[in-house]
Amino acid sequence: MTNTPVILTRDLTKSYGSLKAVQGLNLSVETDRITAFLGQNGAGKSTTIKMLLGMIRPSSGDGTVLGKRITDARENREMRRKVAYVAENKPLYGYMSVEQTVRFASSFYPDWRTDVANRLLSQYKLPQRRKVKSLSKGMRTKLALLLAFARRPDLLILDEPSEGLDPVGIEHLLQTLVAQSAEGVSIFFSSHQIAEVERVADHVCILDNGRLVVNASLDRLRQSYRRIDLVFPFPPPEREFRIVGVEKIRTNGNEMSVFASMNSEAVVERAHDLNVVSVEVAPVGLRDIFLETVKEN
Amino acid sequence: MFFKLNPTTGQPLYLQLMQQIRHAAETGALQDGEQLPGIRTLAEELVVSPNTIAKAYSELEHDGILELRHGSGAFLTVRRRTRSLTDHVQVAQRRLRELIERLREEGLLDEEIRRAFEAELLYPAEIVGKR
Amino acid sequence: MLWYKGWLETRSRFLTCLIVLTAFCAVFVHYAQGFLRPEWSRDFYRLLSIAQEYVVIMWIMSVVLLGMGGLVREKAIGTSSLTLSLPVSRAHLLGVRIAIGVLEAITLGVVPWATIFLVSSAGGMPVEFRQVGFYVLLLVGGGLVYFAMAVLVSSLVEGEYTAPAVAFGLVFLTAILFDVWLRRFNPWRLVTGDFYIDRNTYLLPRHFPWKGTVASLVVAASMLIASIRILREREF
Repeated sequence: MTNTPVILTRDLTKSYGSLKAVQGLNLSVETDRITAFLGQNGAGKSTTIKMLLGMIRPSSGDGTVLGKRITDARENREMRRKVAYVAENKPLYGYMSVEQTVRFASSFYPDWRTDVANRLLSQYKLPQRRKVKSLSKGMRTKLALLLAFARRPDLLILDEPSEGLDPVGIEHLLQTLVAQSAEGVSIFFSSHQIAEVERVADHVCILDNGRLVVNASLDRLRQSYRRIDLVFPFPPPEREFRIVGVEKIRTNGNEMSVFASMNSEAVVERAHDLNVVSVEVAPVGLRDIFLETVKEN
Repeated sequence: MFFKLNPTTGQPLYLQLMQQIRHAAETGALQDGEQLPGIRTLAEELVVSPNTIAKAYSELEHDGILELRHGSGAFLTVRRRTRSLTDHVQVAQRRLRELIERLREEGLLDEEIRRAFEAELLYPAEIVGKR
Repeated sequence: MLWYKGWLETRSRFLTCLIVLTAFCAVFVHYAQGFLRPEWSRDFYRLLSIAQEYVVIMWIMSVVLLGMGGLVREKAIGTSSLTLSLPVSRAHLLGVRIAIGVLEAITLGVVPWATIFLVSSAGGMPVEFRQVGFYVLLLVGGGLVYFAMAVLVSSLVEGEYTAPAVAFGLVFLTAILFDVWLRRFNPWRLVTGDFYIDRNTYLLPRHFPWKGTVASLVVAASMLIASIRILREREF
């Protein structure tokens, strides 16, 4: 039985004049998964998230979050009750103290868990009486994340959560994400920390110039993406290798390096047909998948 | 129990975990009837998605290696046939040791040996040769 | 806890203005009374109307200050993503801010005049509760239009310092423009009681001049409704 996706968009588009920040986005984020949202700065990740939460109106297209239409103000508001969101700049009210901030946030959400909040407050060593404007950047990041983690939402949306955290903080963050996921929270987060994404994500969406260019489970990416390094007795013809799945080809004399998103067996077969001298097939890490997919040709 | 999952080897994490649990069962690191960590516990410990753990446990249950008792956890069920599998594995490891020694004597570096093995395992039909 | 947030955001401004206004009134009336005799009721009432003029200036500046803030300012300082992710409508957010502002504006009108009343009574002056009450009603009823204008400006103009600059600029501008072309509709003269005061007795009329105040409140309400509409359409 398939559940309704927690996030579903249909041709979601946002234009600012002639600039298309998001183009025809068809996103489908499954429940009970940890989905990572990758993309360069300015690729449209934050714009997409803001459209989902009703802060920005789409130019065209539509979407639902937890089954509620994002373009309907009332439905969007209902949905926000069950969604925890931490924006990229980790917003907090500077004039409130840590204690006041926690009390403020908790008053809006029935899914707030005071015991978890207290545990995180002491774990993060946040001084209760101190005003937010006097906190260090790291502490502010932790407090902003705490406001989400002390809840038990249906969906957790995080925009660059690890920014501003030291390695220990990042490890805690990932453990918390994993713990939340184990409790049934669907997680949708954007990040530049590819190594971290590779460890915890179930599914990856890569946005490039407002378009979705990769949308697959991490397992499938691991099994399909390959870099094939070939050496021939002669300079090889690139056109012979432009087959389905081949994303990039680089040749240097008699050497050729093929970057394939799938169908690497066919590439190897074609190489053998051309009397290849040496074949090396290697898996591709997420970082290289990302770089090869979004780099300008 | 020490599991180590590597996200960059091109092999899905759940498969790696399955292999490592199987290996632990074969070598006796995990005893028959012993309980494995809960999905959430292991996920937090390894810092991987709980879906990875869940999938590995589920597949292993399907293969008959684990028994998932609702509410209690995952328990190892080593069958008699695995005993002989342990012997198999020990024999295989001995042969591998000999082969690797011979390859080293022939002048191959460990890195080259490892790459050759990986290429072979990924694509058994490939012929890997050097110019 | 939006009320609590609104209070935290405005309390410094509010309390400062309240103290300044009240202290001024107390001191002004007390000092000026020093030159008056209780028999000189006409001069005393003239004193009250002068007090109103000063109070009006300070009160208007205060409520314009109190009208600042809100989501557009939060966008400038980076906290709008937090406020907008709360499960409350934008209308509700602005509504609470408006309500707090109005309550504070009323307080800023009542307390200083209550002080004038008390100081005058203590000084044996022929101060009439009705006159004081009318001044307060004129001030708040007629003057809320300035608060509404400030809220409207804060919903349109981005920039932490640009919005107050525009708002105060508008106060100044309208004061002049209205006086030159639309004297009959000048809110300033309405609020100070200038339209209604008897030049001989310096008393406000026996029956409160509702029309002007109600008209002003209607304009204020329209501006506030416009603010809510504008906020609904805005992108953050």
